[in-house]
Amino acid sequence: MIKRMIFLLIFILAGNLEAFALTVDEVVAKANNRSYYQGQDGSAKASMVITDAQGRTRQRQLTILKLNIKEGGDQKYFVYFHKPNDVKGMSYIVWKHIGKDDDRWLYLPAMDLVRRIAASDKRSSFAGTTFLYEDISGRAIDLDKHDLIAGEQDFYVVKNTPQDAAAVEFSYYTVKIDKNNFLPVKAEYYDKSGKLYRIIEALEVRDIQGYPTVTKMKASDLNSKANTVTEFSEIKYDIGLKDEIFTERSLRNPPSQWTKE
Amino acid sequence: MKYLPSVHYAIHRRNGQKSKVRAGFTAALLFILLAAAPAGAWDAPQWHGFIEQDYGGLLGRDSLTKHQSYNLLEQRLQLKTRYAIPGDNVLNRWNGVLTYKGDFVVDEYFETTGSYEVRELNFAFSPVSILDIKLGRQILTWGTGDYLFINDLFPKDYISFYIGRDDEYLKKPSDALRLSLYPKVANIDFVLIPHFTPNTLPDGDRVSFFDSFQGGITGRDTQRNAVKPAWQAENFEYALRIYRTFGSSEGAFYYYRGFNPSPRSYLDEANQQLFYERLDVYGASLRGPFLGGIANLETGYYRSRQDASGDNRLIENSAFKWLAGYEKDLGNDLKLGLQYQYEQKLNYDDYASALLPQDYFWDKHRHLLTQRVTKLFKNQTVMLGIFNFWSPSDRDGYLRASCAYDISDQWKLTVGLNIPWGEDDTTDFGMMKKNKNAFIRVRYSF
Repeated sequence: MIKRMIFLLIFILAGNLEAFALTVDEVVAKANNRSYYQGQDGSAKASMVITDAQGRTRQRQLTILKLNIKEGGDQKYFVYFHKPNDVKGMSYIVWKHIGKDDDRWLYLPAMDLVRRIAASDKRSSFAGTTFLYEDISGRAIDLDKHDLIAGEQDFYVVKNTPQDAAAVEFSYYTVKIDKNNFLPVKAEYYDKSGKLYRIIEALEVRDIQGYPTVTKMKASDLNSKANTVTEFSEIKYDIGLKDEIFTERSLRNPPSQWTKE
Repeated sequence: MKYLPSVHYAIHRRNGQKSKVRAGFTAALLFILLAAAPAGAWDAPQWHGFIEQDYGGLLGRDSLTKHQSYNLLEQRLQLKTRYAIPGDNVLNRWNGVLTYKGDFVVDEYFETTGSYEVRELNFAFSPVSILDIKLGRQILTWGTGDYLFINDLFPKDYISFYIGRDDEYLKKPSDALRLSLYPKVANIDFVLIPHFTPNTLPDGDRVSFFDSFQGGITGRDTQRNAVKPAWQAENFEYALRIYRTFGSSEGAFYYYRGFNPSPRSYLDEANQQLFYERLDVYGASLRGPFLGGIANLETGYYRSRQDASGDNRLIENSAFKWLAGYEKDLGNDLKLGLQYQYEQKLNYDDYASALLPQDYFWDKHRHLLTQRVTKLFKNQTVMLGIFNFWSPSDRDGYLRASCAYDISDQWKLTVGLNIPWGEDDTTDFGMMKKNKNAFIRVRYSF
């Protein structure tokens, strides 16, 4: 019994010590895993509302399936569009790679056409929203240099400076990370002149199967005054997705178990 | 008549009525499904689609066609639904899905009161885990080319392509059985098409073209007609694709046995009859990342079964086709695509020596280059696209340009240009030179 308590004490202390002693790279790695790699796999429905400067709105509704190949590394995504109606049934597959271009296939059902998409620019808009591809599937952490800057009591604040400044449109961005669960709650992007022009924030966090999960988030473009609010629903982790889901077969014949409305 | 092919043909008249048999085939499928479904288990299917107004005005006049100042004026209502079979039955356990898509079109070019085109009516299911089956009317596409098709012999509508309809209408549906097998080593697609569907090609009424019987670009005066293979077992068409990925790259083998979907051979010169010659195609393709973009290679050997030796001047010779393509994302929603296609007629000397002095004849080589530039603006709501065909050997080309604006999730406005040109009247694009148009499409999606 005493032995067990000592073990427990050491465990708790070690845990706390570890938290104190985390380097900035460890914080960033943990936050990255929290944001993009929780569970072995997962599914969710995403509802996105884009609001432009004049207050006009557009809608996107999609099903996202995700499979981790390696934590912090390669992943596979399957995305199926439910709305808007003119792209309903369109789907695409991403094989995300770290250190080289992702593989992307797009399926246009009206023509039964599977197109291979040349997609080296990950900082282009995701489906016409103010989210970028990199916001959805994650930005490889070694693309930036990370510095812990004066933070708040409950949050780490990390400044991320790109290794290759010419490859991106920002000069740096800061990310506020919750010390309790390592979830990033706000990212602020500064342009080449040092002006804040882009904000991504978590609006709602919920516990799903023990995984703290952002269920509502907003991307604001301060230049165009447009924003997109994304709400995730029907979030499920560890559902036993197989590698075969993320192939051309699913584009032509979407897995009805996950894509039905 | 110089040559009698060894198959039986049914006369297919120009502007003839669409096959009633084919409509019956697909309609029967719907009835079978309705009859098989247990009463009360059906939820109302969701219907989507669009209404659209299209207009395409000619740049210049074409006195040869029915109307001299325009070649597109129509309203279109498309309705589609995709319905997963519910309930506790075998169709549900097989993930049965019924898909329907049809267009009601009022084509004011021909002043019709309206016609109905069923584009898709099929039932897809998976009786075992490694097999998908799709039966009924469906759109079929494969191959790696961008507007260039070597191993995709499925029917296409080039009139729609030239007059400015949506890209969707380039592909015509086939009444087919598609079996897709997914064993570990490679994926296999097998398609059986019992009833031949030809390409829709310029025939003079709406779009003028080069008519070798008239000896020049011809419109409504053409007397030319094409004879379709009859509906019988020996005229069934088969298409096969075996494909798999190798890391990030994809490789495929293709086989097709059927008829050339474009009538390129003469059946009866005196009666100005063409026919769709028998054709086998053996092909392969490779596609994958290359120098920060996507490269593709595709080749096909076209074996003209009714003129394998190539010495019949009336029947298309065998040929080889090669295609190389490259697409790159230049950032800021700007994409560039380049392709080169080379075609070579085989046994050309035999063909050339069989020609008569007054014959129009095919060239031995054809080189074709294409360039595509796509740029998105305003949060991807505006798309500017340019696609250019240019053949240095035929000295012709075809520029397609369009600008599409997603006004809202419902409304879309598309304007564009179709500019075919050529030094000669006989080449693929050169013969289309009178059909330059500017088009506008307004679509409301629901």
